[in-house]
Amino acid sequence: MEAEDKPVLQFTLVNKTYAETTKSATGHKVLADLSITLYPGMVVGLLGQNGAGKSTLMRCALGIVDIDSGNINTLGESPETLSIEAKQHIGYVPQQPFGYEGFTIDKALELHRSFYPQWDIALEQDWLNRFDLDVTQAVQKLSVGQRQSLALIMAMAYRPTLLLLDEPVASLDPIARRQFMGDLFDLALDSGSAVLFSSHITSDLERVASHVALIKKGDLVLFKEIDALREEVKLLTINDDTQLPASYRILSQTGQTVLVDTQGNSDAIAGVQNEKSLNLEQLFMELHR
Amino acid sequence: MLELLNVNPSSGEPIYRQLHDQIVRLIVGGQLHPEDVLPSVRQLAEHLAVNPMTVSRAMQQLVDQGWVERRRGQPSRVAARTSANNASGSSLLAPQLSALVEQAQQLGVDYDELQQLLKQFWQKE
Repeated sequence: MEAEDKPVLQFTLVNKTYAETTKSATGHKVLADLSITLYPGMVVGLLGQNGAGKSTLMRCALGIVDIDSGNINTLGESPETLSIEAKQHIGYVPQQPFGYEGFTIDKALELHRSFYPQWDIALEQDWLNRFDLDVTQAVQKLSVGQRQSLALIMAMAYRPTLLLLDEPVASLDPIARRQFMGDLFDLALDSGSAVLFSSHITSDLERVASHVALIKKGDLVLFKEIDALREEVKLLTINDDTQLPASYRILSQTGQTVLVDTQGNSDAIAGVQNEKSLNLEQLFMELHR
Repeated sequence: MLELLNVNPSSGEPIYRQLHDQIVRLIVGGQLHPEDVLPSVRQLAEHLAVNPMTVSRAMQQLVDQGWVERRRGQPSRVAARTSANNASGSSLLAPQLSALVEQAQQLGVDYDELQQLLKQFWQKE
């Protein structure tokens, strides 16, 4: 499917350095030759430490932040000159939503709805009920979790083709999170959308993501289907003289412990004492040793 | 049958494989019979709160291996047992057995001792 579909979002060798500050004279590199492509139906979990470049990546995709070099294609357009048409098919929930202070929920939704011709009012009602939001409440009186719920409705009720979620679920309770994940699947599979979402809750990513993208200091270290990640990324304990095949990619090494991407090479290797699959959290810790 | 299934997303093992193995075990163990109707991919995904693509991968594998049958426009059903899918309960225990033997060896528990232990635990159950 992926070969025929047109990419929804494509980064090609994108670089971004934030200007020098008093702390760092050379500037701060946030994206380094980053290339990644999202196709319809993909739910990509973006994982990385704070400051690794996750939010910047999303902002660049939207044209909120300019890039220094490379190329970005967002729904077939350059993010700097996104058409209104394209914007109507993008959903974005930033880390700190808002706007609409001074509005009640129903007034805020009324205004927001007017920007999106594809808005599905039934879906909106459905989610309002589910998140148990009272539409006569003032937006600024909502709890953090309620604001997040409202932000999700505002970004998803028009079934965007590209959905960018920056830590969207941290403040939702576990039940709301699970239901929300179901909504993401519906969007990705029924509407053929692509979803990019960052989260530190690795168990959520493990359930929801079709792919995982791991970035470390602006560098895309791993981008794989989640099942392939579990099958191909291994923590090996080797002898000092063990020769690993050339097709292996070494992701990190501390003494005799090596984290490798076998890239599909499943041959047994002589001199490997132990081999372990990792869950996302363990992988994350290993990569940041 | 939904209540018989559960996956652990944080184990290192791929979710599709956990699901595949559980369904095979239910078939071999006799909890699922030939012609039993299986829940849809959507229902399974919703119940387990995992990506439907993962579920559909597990189902595809079950179909390819002859455990499950899919007819056009109908729900998936457990296939009749044939020579292709007559794995026995004992053969499905192989991974656990090899892990047990490995750990016994690491701990210096010898074969006779292990046999004794097995007997004790068997009688306890």
